[in-house]
Amino acid sequence: MSTARGERRPARGPRLALLGIAAIGQRAFLTLWRQPVLVVSTMIFPIVYLVVLGNAMNRPLENVPLAVVDEAGNAYSAECRRGVLALQSGRQLVAATFLSDRGGALDGLRRGRYRGVWVLPFGLSPAGPAPSFIGDNTDRFSFEALESTLRQIWQEVSAPPETPPAAPAVRLEAYPYLDYLTYLGPAIVCLAIFMGSMVSGGLQVLEDRMYGYHEGYLVTPISTGTLVAGNILAGAIVASIAGGLVLAAVVFLSPLPAAGTPSLAAAAVTVFLTSLSIAALWFLVFARAKSASLLRGMFGIINVLLFFPSGALYPIESYPPWLAKLSSIDPLTYGVRSLRNLLLRGAAPASTYPDWVFLATFTVVCGVLTKVLFRREV
Amino acid sequence: MIAPIEVDKLTKRFGDFVADDAVSFTVKRGETFGLLGPNGAGKTTLIRMLTTLMPPSSGTARVEGHDIVSEKGSVRRAIGTVSQAQTTDENLTVRENLAVQGKMYGLSGRLLRERIERRLKQVGLWERRNQISRQLSGGMRRRLEIARGVLHAPRVLFLDEPTTGLDPQSRRSIWDMFDDLREQEPDLAIILTTHSMEEADFLCDRVAIMDRGKVLCEDSPESLKRGLETGERVELETDRVIAPEDREALAEAGVARPRFPSATSVHFYARPGEGTGRRAARLLEDRGYHIVHLTIALATLEDVFFSYTGRALREA
Repeated sequence: MSTARGERRPARGPRLALLGIAAIGQRAFLTLWRQPVLVVSTMIFPIVYLVVLGNAMNRPLENVPLAVVDEAGNAYSAECRRGVLALQSGRQLVAATFLSDRGGALDGLRRGRYRGVWVLPFGLSPAGPAPSFIGDNTDRFSFEALESTLRQIWQEVSAPPETPPAAPAVRLEAYPYLDYLTYLGPAIVCLAIFMGSMVSGGLQVLEDRMYGYHEGYLVTPISTGTLVAGNILAGAIVASIAGGLVLAAVVFLSPLPAAGTPSLAAAAVTVFLTSLSIAALWFLVFARAKSASLLRGMFGIINVLLFFPSGALYPIESYPPWLAKLSSIDPLTYGVRSLRNLLLRGAAPASTYPDWVFLATFTVVCGVLTKVLFRREV
Repeated sequence: MIAPIEVDKLTKRFGDFVADDAVSFTVKRGETFGLLGPNGAGKTTLIRMLTTLMPPSSGTARVEGHDIVSEKGSVRRAIGTVSQAQTTDENLTVRENLAVQGKMYGLSGRLLRERIERRLKQVGLWERRNQISRQLSGGMRRRLEIARGVLHAPRVLFLDEPTTGLDPQSRRSIWDMFDDLREQEPDLAIILTTHSMEEADFLCDRVAIMDRGKVLCEDSPESLKRGLETGERVELETDRVIAPEDREALAEAGVARPRFPSATSVHFYARPGEGTGRRAARLLEDRGYHIVHLTIALATLEDVFFSYTGRALREA
């Protein structure tokens, strides 16, 4: 009888730690299961991001309003006007308005009606005077597009076409064709992880503190280390679910000809490790926080600090040194890089091991700091 | 034999404010010990120190022989708590809430299942085990929290305001539940805080009355009331107006500080067991009054609190 009772004593030591982690995980999972809207909302943000950003950033300019003032009225200006009309009906870069009055055109420019004014001055000829372009440089993109296109038209008009064209440069694409949306795929997976990491883990602890729920588990015999590890793990699992679902959507929707099964399996590992590191970072940020107002303040900052330096949208090579430094300690940098290598370039899983090592180290460092900072008090 | 709780000059300061000022008491095995006092008396702070949620500024305390500062782990293993805060996860079912909590105490498998069943039956929630906690009434939620507190069979149970915010009916049924619990667990030491004298009276074997961080007195509710100068409350009502000379006669007969809430009635407090009430009634009858109504009642803990602080518990 006494031995039977002895076997059924409450667990201690490592087994208690495992049970504690299981308990935190069970709660996180059930919370998510009962509120599927949490998953949906964490996934909607990245997908909307993908669709809006992907379409907003990488589409050619169309119908830029341009005023053309023909003061010359000669054969060259007619040629120029024909070039503009071709631009309008062909590439549809511009929506041209032909005016005779230079003052009215410039006035329209100042009022924002036109993005540029192309003046073809009296006596226009290859020997001079040449056309002048007055552009709205508040918008760099359309200014430069208009300026270079109009210069090209004048070059064609002024130079006889007898000169032989230069030999075309050699251009090779190392990987199969990708559109920008596919290029963004790994970034969106990382964004989903970021959003998913806000559901459980450190943020759950913060919420518990606000409602006093934490009093219920702070008085239990599980160790502070277990509490920290369990919450990081729970946060990471929930974030992985969000990241994994978006990853599946990316794989399913985009042509990823380079990625094979080993790459996809390794990508899943990257998703989990990235989730761990973000969950650990959140818990560290909130190790001592007591109110949700900190979350409101921190969400935007952390989002910007993690997402933009990660190279998710622009190449890291374009960053100034300080931003590049930030980028080098940003776990999302490694997540994005690893996913890009695996999914877009079809790299062997071994090539991403350094990224995994960084993500795992980042998680451990944040976890240890959190354990030190965490106050087991009310 | 180790006492479940020994508190020795436990003090908690928050800056200049002293929440608990050198509080000392001992709770015996199987005893229900109440900390009675108004809000701000330092009861919750005391409980938080004893349950390792707050370090004391000075003084010591031992729970089941374990120091609350240097042996937090052992203290946590020995205690169960029901705090004022809501420690039920609303998204989880009744049973899931207990399962999550039980694992944190190292319970798993069959042991956990059996304990959950037993405790849910004890608090009368077994039929609702698969209900989402959000759908529970306030009283049922409190029962669930109490089941959580005793799930792992602690030796000491801390209850911080266990019935605050409940309607009288749920409150009463929780009291009855505690009675059953104490019958089934004769060794369990319970320490509870309350600002309700009825609750202290009903549940506690011994009561410490607290005010402004200090323990004013400590004894069984009965002894506390009997020990009062004013432990007996007498209410007398006659058929006609009590004349001034008869009022004076009452005072001469040993009625201290009588109050006359109406022209025909007199209320006063007296030391229990001295028969002052009956003497006063006889005196009035001798002077030709007819006694319409006579109440002689033992004072309440409210009166005890009043006698120590000069304030009513509810006003404090």
